[in-house]
Amino acid sequence: MSVRDTILSRLKATLNQPDLPFPPQDSDPLTQAERMTVTHAPGDRWAQAERFAQELNAVKGSCELLETETEARLSIISRLQLWQEEEQSARKTANAERAGDWDVLCWPLHQLQIESLPLILKEMGFKLIEPTDLHDPEQRERIRSIRAGITTVEAAFASTGSFVVGGRGANARAASLTPFRHLVVIPFSKLFATGEDWLAQMRFAGQLDAFVRQSRNLSIVTGPSKSADLEGILTMGVHGPKVVHAILFDDVHE
Amino acid sequence: MQVDFHAPYKDRVRQALSDPNLRSAVSRATDRMSDARHTSMDSIEGQKLRTQVRQMKEHVLRNWPEYLEQLETNLTSNGCTVHWAEGIEDAQAIVKDIALQNSAKLIVKSKSMATEEIHLNHAMEEAGLRVVETDLGEYIIQLADEPPSHIVAPVIHKRLEEIAEVFQEKLDMPPTREPTKMTSLARARLRQEFFAATMGISGCNFAIAETGTICIVTNEGNGRMVSSMPRVYVAVMGIEKLVPTVEDAYLQLQALCRSATGQNLTVYCSMTSGPRQEGDVDGPEQVHVVLLDNGRSRMFARGYGEALMCIRCGACLNACPVYQEIGGHAYGSTYNGPIGAVITPALAPEIGQFKELPHATSLCGACREVCPVKIDLPRLLLDLRSDLVQQGVSPKSEAWGIKSYASLMSSRRTYESLGKMASIGSNVYAGLSGGNIKFMPPPLNGWTAYRDFAPFAPKSFRHWWRQRKKLRGQT
Ligand code: SF4
Repeated sequence: MSVRDTILSRLKATLNQPDLPFPPQDSDPLTQAERMTVTHAPGDRWAQAERFAQELNAVKGSCELLETETEARLSIISRLQLWQEEEQSARKTANAERAGDWDVLCWPLHQLQIESLPLILKEMGFKLIEPTDLHDPEQRERIRSIRAGITTVEAAFASTGSFVVGGRGANARAASLTPFRHLVVIPFSKLFATGEDWLAQMRFAGQLDAFVRQSRNLSIVTGPSKSADLEGILTMGVHGPKVVHAILFDDVHE
Repeated sequence: MQVDFHAPYKDRVRQALSDPNLRSAVSRATDRMSDARHTSMDSIEGQKLRTQVRQMKEHVLRNWPEYLEQLETNLTSNGCTVHWAEGIEDAQAIVKDIALQNSAKLIVKSKSMATEEIHLNHAMEEAGLRVVETDLGEYIIQLADEPPSHIVAPVIHKRLEEIAEVFQEKLDMPPTREPTKMTSLARARLRQEFFAATMGISGCNFAIAETGTICIVTNEGNGRMVSSMPRVYVAVMGIEKLVPTVEDAYLQLQALCRSATGQNLTVYCSMTSGPRQEGDVDGPEQVHVVLLDNGRSRMFARGYGEALMCIRCGACLNACPVYQEIGGHAYGSTYNGPIGAVITPALAPEIGQFKELPHATSLCGACREVCPVKIDLPRLLLDLRSDLVQQGVSPKSEAWGIKSYASLMSSRRTYESLGKMASIGSNVYAGLSGGNIKFMPPPLNGWTAYRDFAPFAPKSFRHWWRQRKKLRGQT
């Protein structure tokens, strides 16, 4: 018998014991109807956006809430500029500019649905790096030193300040993972009160199973990377981004 | 002073107890985590969450083989390769073979208890492969050549000064005790390894049967790194780490994070359902999942199935007065604290191999109160003790002790008033014998066979606990 069959038949034999102390005979699954929602974020989209910001701030991220796409565009540009200046002034030498300073690792920016954003960023001198194959040594090397990444999200949850990033097609997992700073752009249409709400909606639409499988990788992210391993002292940016800044904008206008 | 892992149990405990630095480091950290857990569970319907997670896990175990088969089918149809391992040797061999087939010389690893259990690093290194732990805490203890001492916080036993010494010695760090500098150094070093490694290894916090998805949670992001950057990704999971649906996974995730560190959610929950496909920018080209039994099916058959619902949050360690005093290394096993005292003997080929562990507890019940799955750890510990007696491993007097203990525990008033008498009596005796009581007459020698008998505290645990709760403004 294979190891697999041995293990499975041992489990089956145990479950057939009439006097097995555990688990109880009538162990019903937790149904959709009874499963609880752990945290809540009541109110309309703006109330939820505010809650998202509050929760993200609480875990040392930062957030801006904007009314229009135009404002979002401006904010993205000025945030990237600010970061670039900060990088340079953090270096102590004169003439601190480095070739890679203008590189931004990103998902194809048309996904952000912000008109002419890629064009403006390019005109300002930013290089939008959209790798095609990160197992290619040259491309891998290229992204190593990139300090900023931009992505959008699959969904965001107000009650915990979390967002979900996928990992397939042109959407590099690395864009939200390897840079020192992550700029995450979240249209209100992707914002849900809770993770449970999002899952319920996907389940109801009959998409959940296929979505999870076809994403290959989904990461739920709640704030910047951190550790408390050094005697309980909180340190930020251990492996993932040290800075997570979210730009939420109203694309719904209810 | 360090605890010598190879010393006999009693000596390890003595070594741990005689190290004031260890005790203060451990008790400070466990208090902090306990407080965070408490606040976090109090801010939601904590009881309901615990009840629901338990219901879900009970259901999984009642239908265990079916869920395992479902997981296997879905992982396979997603393009993952599933391996089954009966014990330590074949699990090691499976992972080694994957590495050799892919000519992987360098392996990056994220924190995983299952791989500790199978001593994977040691086996890989013997085969000439380099394994780098990437969780900051695990990285530190790997540099210091020590095992982890806590399920969630592996380096809980070390103070900042000691960690700085390790970094200075092993990484040539200039003298500093600046946590941010130490973290940046580790980030830079480990970043090199992530980009160079061919293979990544992780454990698995839970696997979703309906979609064939492996979930790992980290705060640092190393879990995402090991499952995304290298060409080959291997997840080693205990066969009990199953949840039926995506919604169940999200429920358990929240119970885990709140119980472990008091967070609403950890920074990252990384869910892998399959390898990279044509057109994907990154992600592993191969995903292997090793389903590890290593005593779990035996433990189930022995009647200790309740402990297989454990989600490894570490809350019972943080709440345990014994763990707080002696830390993790004194247990001398991969899993420590109350849950370790149950599953280490229960998973072993013979429960008598770890006969001391079920005694490394005060049976105060604090662990049961905090467990997110409501596992009745004190009862399981008593079951183990009585099994040990039945197998002739423990003295008969122990059986008498257990019976009386069980009847005592069943009536709180008797327990408390007897406790008070014992407190007075034992302190007088200890005063006479100059400290701890190393020998007691039968039937009480059942106790001193495994440990010194400390004089009862002037205040009972329950009394102390009530006061502590009052201080925190709870009833
Ligand atoms: S036994 Fe319960 S409290 Fe202890 S680690 Fe497991 S789940 Fe957490």
